[in-house]
Amino acid sequence: MPRPDDLQFNMFHFMPYIHLPEDHKKYESVWVDFPNTIYDPVKGNQLYTRYLREMALADKLGFDGLVVNEHHSTSYSMMPAPSLIAAALIPQTSRAKLCVFGTPLNLEYPHRVAEEYGMLDVMSGGRLEVALPLGTGMEYWVNPINPATARARFRESIDILLKAWREDGPLAYEGDFYTYRYLNVWPKPYQKPHPKMYLVGTGSPETVQLAAELGLGYSSVFVPISKQMQAFAELRERSPSYGHTFTRDKAIIGIMAYVAETKEKAEQEWMEHLFFFFKDALRTTPRYLVPPGYVTPAEFRKRISGPNLHGELTWEGLTEQFFVVCGTPDMVAESIAAWSEQAHSSRINCFLHLGTMPHWMTVKNMTLFAEEVIPRLRSKAPDMRQSLPQAAE
Amino acid sequence: MTAFTREEITVGGVKTVYLTAGKGEPLLFLHGGGTFHGFEFAKPWAEHFRVLLPYHPGFGESDDDPGLSSMQDYVMHYIELLDQLGLDKVNLVGFSLGGWLAASFATQHTRRIRKLVLVAPAGLRVKEAPTADLFRIPGEQVPAMLVHNFDVIKPHLPAGFDVDFTVDRFREITTVARVAWERSHDPKLPRWLHRVTVPTMLVYGEQDRIVPAAQGPHWARLIPGATVRTFPEAGHLVLDEKPEAVKAVQQFLQ
Repeated sequence: MPRPDDLQFNMFHFMPYIHLPEDHKKYESVWVDFPNTIYDPVKGNQLYTRYLREMALADKLGFDGLVVNEHHSTSYSMMPAPSLIAAALIPQTSRAKLCVFGTPLNLEYPHRVAEEYGMLDVMSGGRLEVALPLGTGMEYWVNPINPATARARFRESIDILLKAWREDGPLAYEGDFYTYRYLNVWPKPYQKPHPKMYLVGTGSPETVQLAAELGLGYSSVFVPISKQMQAFAELRERSPSYGHTFTRDKAIIGIMAYVAETKEKAEQEWMEHLFFFFKDALRTTPRYLVPPGYVTPAEFRKRISGPNLHGELTWEGLTEQFFVVCGTPDMVAESIAAWSEQAHSSRINCFLHLGTMPHWMTVKNMTLFAEEVIPRLRSKAPDMRQSLPQAAE
Repeated sequence: MTAFTREEITVGGVKTVYLTAGKGEPLLFLHGGGTFHGFEFAKPWAEHFRVLLPYHPGFGESDDDPGLSSMQDYVMHYIELLDQLGLDKVNLVGFSLGGWLAASFATQHTRRIRKLVLVAPAGLRVKEAPTADLFRIPGEQVPAMLVHNFDVIKPHLPAGFDVDFTVDRFREITTVARVAWERSHDPKLPRWLHRVTVPTMLVYGEQDRIVPAAQGPHWARLIPGATVRTFPEAGHLVLDEKPEAVKAVQQFLQ
């Protein structure tokens, strides 16, 4: 078992549908109303096959976790049901954690998520980790759940999930959104009391507060680095007041990296795919990002008064917002070491496939990362016990 | 013409602002899902009635209360408001979302109403002439859809992108979402509208692209004795566009 301070590296895959029509830019958004006639199931089958192979390879290369997540009605991700991907990975992998980061609880019944995740943890012999997102604004346009009451419902769903796992059934639950006469989830997880759990947030103080209160980890996505650092600092400061210890494994950072022989080669190979990811895979409208009531009017004001993230993207703009690096193993390792130190984080989600990156680039990137970057980072942390691969095979 | 006075009242803990003018029988007007076009149209009513124009909680100058999360909560808000103002009976006029609210109110509190006017009311699902789903229409396209003659609302719109205006609209559509995201109608209305036993008139703009005038006969079938008036060359904001419609409401209520 890795200790909380041991650096752990997760391979994160979005599994995008990449075969967009030539005129795809005529669509303002590749989310919500992007016509599903664009999806070719034959090509989809080839992509699933390829992506699953990449994740299986990541396990063999020694990545500590394989991360999948959930999005709906978009080419950005082919995983509206990430538990299915995790289940498919169980027999193809042997040591990596299966990180379902994860199903927005509001989009399922909470007991159903407890059951699904319980199955995954039992089936994999305790290899599951979960992160609980509210879900992007876009998800609320394509699901019947009210975005204006989503946060209150999310809070209740977390309660139900934790109760179902931390207490013995049969239980009863009476809430504002859900009533369970018999809350009695079979199977309960393999790991006791439950798999390692994170909340996913966009830096809002309420979510960080909740993670501190419940003793959960925190992972923030798509917010400026400064705001992420602030969120982690709050988690460190607030956890003790709820009787929980902050440990470095409770802070997940996400990094986008490409490793090559030289900086020039890395830029030459990677940039078009990186920019495709930001300009095309993520392309959506402000309206879809923020459905009615998804944030408070005060937060909405901040978002529309700030810089327009959907404008012309530059490398400089990206590096303010995201942990992005490309270059030689030394360069990449140096950046990641600094970021993880700054965030007091020992859990690194590595986005090593992005956008239209072909299979060979993904394999090259993952291999160089695993064989050249990870060892450098582990040796840079002499005060931390090396995380040795478990002899699982 | 009479100017409105601004008043504040706390109803169920929520600061509620209303404009008022005139003397006589009270006329309570319940606005729709957006307040940006103001209440100028209602001024002629103040010559004949004591006009009360409240902002619903979550709209305009009234405070927010996320705890008000259903149309029934707003019905309760208004019965409390009437009690607090000591108004036993009012003429009730509801427009669009406020028409839905007025209709719900009337099914439960018909004794508190003298006469009822529903102006392009939302809330009834009419399969043959469905209400437009405003949540599906990008905000910038909404104003043009509201009227037949765009000049009527142009003075109420900002010249370009305006942060305050955009935030105000977001706040108001958030309030609408709380009560109407899951379902922009009340499937129980047809069952209970027969309990509205006061004289009732429906008013439509013939070119309404939000709530089609073709819905009128459906309401009229469900509310005993209700009549329908439709005004040509007018859209959803028929009261803003047609002084004749404002006049017709006044005459019906007198």
